[in-house]
Amino acid sequence: FSWSSLGLAFHRTHLISSLLCLESIILSIYIALSIWPIKNQTSATLMQILILAFSACEASAGLAILIASTQTHVSDHLRNLNLLQC
Amino acid sequence: FILMLSLTLGTMITITSNHWVTAWAGLEINTLAIIPLISKSHHPRAIEAATKYFLTQATASALMLFSSMTNAWSSGQWDITQLTNPPSCLLLTAAIAIKLGLTPFHFWFPEVLQGSSLTTALLLSTAMKFPPTTILLLTSHSLNPTLLSTMAIMSIALGGWMGLNQTQTRKILAFSSISHLGWMTIIITYNPKLTLLTFYLYSLMTTSIFLSMNSTNTLKLSTLMTSWTKAPMLNTTLMLTLLSLAGLPPLTGFLPKWLIIQELTKQEMTTTATIISMLSLLGLFFYLRLTYCSTITLPPNSPNKMKQWSIKKPVNTLTPTL
Repeated sequence: FSWSSLGLAFHRTHLISSLLCLESIILSIYIALSIWPIKNQTSATLMQILILAFSACEASAGLAILIASTQTHVSDHLRNLNLLQC
Repeated sequence: FILMLSLTLGTMITITSNHWVTAWAGLEINTLAIIPLISKSHHPRAIEAATKYFLTQATASALMLFSSMTNAWSSGQWDITQLTNPPSCLLLTAAIAIKLGLTPFHFWFPEVLQGSSLTTALLLSTAMKFPPTTILLLTSHSLNPTLLSTMAIMSIALGGWMGLNQTQTRKILAFSSISHLGWMTIIITYNPKLTLLTFYLYSLMTTSIFLSMNSTNTLKLSTLMTSWTKAPMLNTTLMLTLLSLAGLPPLTGFLPKWLIIQELTKQEMTTTATIISMLSLLGLFFYLRLTYCSTITLPPNSPNKMKQWSIKKPVNTLTPTL
């Protein structure tokens, strides 16, 4: 988790890499949450499915934003996102 | 209109939740519903604002989920009001600070407000602040007070300082909301009801400002100067609302500041009370500049044009003068 959050914090040129890091964050949370009930003999499957559903929705929304930003800006380099500077 | 319905649904889910996953789900529903609202016009600035907003909010939600997970590891329960693990409390305050726009993490907020249209900016700054503040309220007894108060003081300071050089009205309102959020969080560990009170009053005042700016379509300071020809009554109420946001005594904006300072001096934190009242002077400067530009000065030529009568509610601007 911390590895992918560091990757998200230090993304350099492409927006796609930040989206990937976001997905890996949620995936690490999901895997950790699935491993934990096996050790403690409880079951949390409804929570897992809910988390999966919402993270999938978030990922698709992120991809849609990526497509929209490549349509309006020329590429998805992060240096091009400076239209709103003070 | 489905997006508004899903926004209210998400807010309701987050408010009425006592399990972390439902709170996280409500926050994600809110994020997902607002993203198409921000990027409705296919302007590059709007899309850019949508990307910044999405990235920050998604990381904040993931951080929140992670903190709840570590808390569940150490204490075995997913209840919101019981946070026993200190690192998870720290992560949770960081996540909520990112979501609200408090000071170490406020960098997305002015640009996102600038890139969205006025009504969606209104939604962003009032309605979207509501679920994270409810989560803060629910968990306020177990968070770190010094961290919260330092973040609050810094956000009041930064909101005042960075608003000084702005000419775009949406950015000015972004910085004013940052400083108001600082006022809200500074009192949250001592008296959470005051936080709610400041939030309600602040949302009332900013809705009136946004709606009045929406009806005259003023996005820059120069547009404010010539807006008195279109609807003079609206301009005077706008001036009163702005002054009430600044916190001048006969208007309602003074009430939360007074109560917060009273509460802080009861808790023997008089230095912080003086610091934040000094820092709100910075905000007072640009509120005064806004009122000066809108009502007190006259432009060189004064034609009395009555164009652009959109049917927004001027009634809403009278409520802050109560």
